[in-house]
Amino acid sequence: MRNTRDTVALRYGLLTLFAMAWVGVPIWLVIVNSFKTAGEAARLSLALPSSWAAAENYRTAIVDGDYFHALLNSLIIAVPTILVVVLVGAAAAWAFGRSTSRVMQGVFYVVTLSILIPPSLIPTIYLLRDISLQGTTFGYILVLIGTRMGILVFLATGFIRNMPVDLENAAAIDGANSIQVFVRIILPLLSPVLFVGSIILFIGVWSDFFFATFLIPSQDQHTLPLALYSFATSSVSSFRWNLVFAHVVLTSLPLLVAFVFLQKRVIGGLTEGALKG
Amino acid sequence: MTSAVGRRLDSPRRSDSKVEMPGTGAPVNRPRRRRRSATVLWFSLPSIVLVGVFFVVPLVINLPLAFSNWTSYSSTITLDGWANFQSLIEQGYLFSAIRVTLVYSVIAMLVQNIVSLTLAAAMQDATRTNNFFRAVFFLPVLLSPLAAGYIWRGILDPQGPLNSVISVVIPGFDWAWLGETSTALVSVAFVDAWKWIGLTTLVYIAGLNGVPRELLEAAVIDGASPWTVFWKVVFPLLAPAFTFNIVITLIGAFNAYDVIAATTGGGPGNSTQSINILLRAQYGLGDFGTASALGLTITVLVVVAAIPLVWWLRRREV
Repeated sequence: MRNTRDTVALRYGLLTLFAMAWVGVPIWLVIVNSFKTAGEAARLSLALPSSWAAAENYRTAIVDGDYFHALLNSLIIAVPTILVVVLVGAAAAWAFGRSTSRVMQGVFYVVTLSILIPPSLIPTIYLLRDISLQGTTFGYILVLIGTRMGILVFLATGFIRNMPVDLENAAAIDGANSIQVFVRIILPLLSPVLFVGSIILFIGVWSDFFFATFLIPSQDQHTLPLALYSFATSSVSSFRWNLVFAHVVLTSLPLLVAFVFLQKRVIGGLTEGALKG
Repeated sequence: MTSAVGRRLDSPRRSDSKVEMPGTGAPVNRPRRRRRSATVLWFSLPSIVLVGVFFVVPLVINLPLAFSNWTSYSSTITLDGWANFQSLIEQGYLFSAIRVTLVYSVIAMLVQNIVSLTLAAAMQDATRTNNFFRAVFFLPVLLSPLAAGYIWRGILDPQGPLNSVISVVIPGFDWAWLGETSTALVSVAFVDAWKWIGLTTLVYIAGLNGVPRELLEAAVIDGASPWTVFWKVVFPLLAPAFTFNIVITLIGAFNAYDVIAATTGGGPGNSTQSINILLRAQYGLGDFGTASALGLTITVLVVVAAIPLVWWLRRREV
């Protein structure tokens, strides 16, 4: 409570120690062991490698672990999913936020139900089989869109409800049609909440493993988590720590690199935008 | 349906426009306005279709499928009563998986919220140093749960860093955290919590910063101890953040799969076999009906647990 110099120093000291144990050690363990030979990595120590095998390990993880192919697949899935969810979700939020009808209120609750109720996986497979989309990347994208839209609609609708209607009315009186009002006024005003929503969505879609195992079974369509899993489980005899950790580093790298650049906006946006709505 | 919606929406708007511009211009403006608010409703259509087809339809057809004999090796699907649930119970799987899932969720929820709240209190002010720490604790959120599982499989290994530290006090300590029935479930639930703590912390920071400073100062001037200030002033005002975090972490953990798949695969024995791990195994055997029954079990658990929880937590909000 009382921020004297000593308590501040103590607090930062404790935070540093905790951060080192909580985040530092796990990350160090993975990185340092991904540079070791199989035998040395099996001891799982935090010491520096006595003989370096970084190049071989990462080459194996990239080639046998199908890294770049999986990275491409992850992008092919995540980017369109987020774009569609943001556009379609923002449009829906405008309609829900400006409507006072009870019917629309009911529909809003159903659309945002997916925040609480987990999507039903096996019936989804049944449905995709029926519309000949089973096992296709397109089918998987549609499922991701439909099951993860709720959170964005929820956040954006709350935002719209707190937004004055005057700007939209003024534009309409000036002769702008609904599409123009949406693109020129609603989307820009919504951009902070859409940014926060797409961060949460991107992390979720990018690391989805459970749905992906069922919906995109073929090696060809493998996303990063699927590639990591099949690479880690491909050796029956023993768990190859050095190689699995090299793949873990590679798989985690894209989001970590993006975070380094966007860190201020991500943390700021999530702390400010988290509870509005 | 949409025309009814349009008409309902119109009535308050029309009276609005009368208030804004009495008399003049109203006859010209009115039809355009009505058309516009009806058009805005159409903007929700793509979202309704996508959520309807890919979320609501599977949710509904889960009910008949859970009671069907759908398998990979039969061409016809017929209703089969409680057979799927019966076979799961006879094999001793169902209640064990429900217990594992519930224990996992409660542990993950408790660890996540206790650590997050402590961290949020420590990093509440938006100073430069705190922003750095917030970013550091956010890093695990960016890892896939699968990657987090492999990392902790290394840390919790009998030879791993955790046991090395404990060995300083107890020489030769080589407990297999993930290999022993007594600690495997707690360990995997902890990893799940570890991965998400950065996010719940930010929600708590937002909640803490929403508590008015004057209220805190008034309480301190009135002679309240820091402990009393927290429980009597901060805690009640933090209720919305609590509701959000507790419900989201609990329900998220009901779907436990990734961390377990990367670490124990459901073992030792059935001690970490969550509902989703079992669902995957049943699906792999071609027993799609049984797998659907397990999916329905999660839905029912969420409804039974979440709705009273949300209701109870909301009642405590000020």
